[in-house]
Amino acid sequence: MCYESRSSKTLLRILRCLVLVSCFAASVIAQDLDQVRTASSSSVLRARAVLGLEGVAKNSTGELSIQDDALVFSRRERPTVRVPLSAIQGAFLSQEDKQVGGTPMALGRAATPYGGGRVIGLFAHKRYDFVTVEYFDSNGGVHGTIYQLNKGQGQVLANELGAKGVHVSGLRIDIAKSGVEK
Amino acid sequence: MSLTAVAIGIAIMPLAVLAGATRGRVAQWSVEVNQVEAGDSNVAPEFKAAIYENVVIELAKAKQFSAVLRSGDRSANGVSNLLILKTTVESYRPGSETKRAVTTVTGTTKLRVRTQLCTQDGQVLLERVVDGDVRFLGENLRATHNLARNVVKAIKQVTLPEPAPSNHA
Repeated sequence: MCYESRSSKTLLRILRCLVLVSCFAASVIAQDLDQVRTASSSSVLRARAVLGLEGVAKNSTGELSIQDDALVFSRRERPTVRVPLSAIQGAFLSQEDKQVGGTPMALGRAATPYGGGRVIGLFAHKRYDFVTVEYFDSNGGVHGTIYQLNKGQGQVLANELGAKGVHVSGLRIDIAKSGVEK
Repeated sequence: MSLTAVAIGIAIMPLAVLAGATRGRVAQWSVEVNQVEAGDSNVAPEFKAAIYENVVIELAKAKQFSAVLRSGDRSANGVSNLLILKTTVESYRPGSETKRAVTTVTGTTKLRVRTQLCTQDGQVLLERVVDGDVRFLGENLRATHNLARNVVKAIKQVTLPEPAPSNHA
């Protein structure tokens, strides 16, 4: 009797672990699928204007799209910024690894004992696409804007810009690799 | 009480006037920031753009010049007391944020540029090699922010000549 209850408890524990693991796996897969779906079906891309966009603060999050021959960066309840495609001198696509979680995560990593923070750092990173757009403003001044997009979305934007006649260059090898991964 | 306030005011006034005059003298120059040249380095375009943008931002923050103009800005044509800031990347070592987080001692992003502040007739007022890097915390592009701050720091140390009297608008 006692043996049976013990084995049932162990079974329950294993089941709980399995449920947790399967939930985590499902969420990760769903996230990936969602990213791929948005990248392929819609031209409205979630992006972060890291630097250099006129009238927009550093690291502002918004949506990037191409509308009526202009590259549009729109944010909630804030004025949209339109850059005419004819004013764009060139665009460059690149990829980079970034640590996730920002300052709170960095502090958490630093506070974790026995070098645990380093282990967390080893896994808490994500690859992003970066699109650098150089354009002229209405006065002829040069701007260099850097957009950060989810992995794979930079290629979508680069393709759309290329189709509209903008000169796009950058990590072709990485693009091919990401295509293979998908 | 009010007499003390008046006395303090009178004591401070010459200092304020002097500071204003100094600021005014420096502020007579405008600066045009040229696009960053890659030189012989294989610097990534996003780093080039970030250096350029950060230098523009930091120069505007420093309030050393009456106007900070971008490369190609048409309004620079009418400006007589214009200085030109040229930046050429000398070396660039791409780092890794993950390596920095895991090992602390590796993965440093390093940038070295040669910066020149020239007058319109080509006279070089400042030529200096400036470094910018990220060693521990922060993303790779932060190196460009640090570099821009160092460039502006170097410019602040230069004593700018008086603009030509005929150039006073």
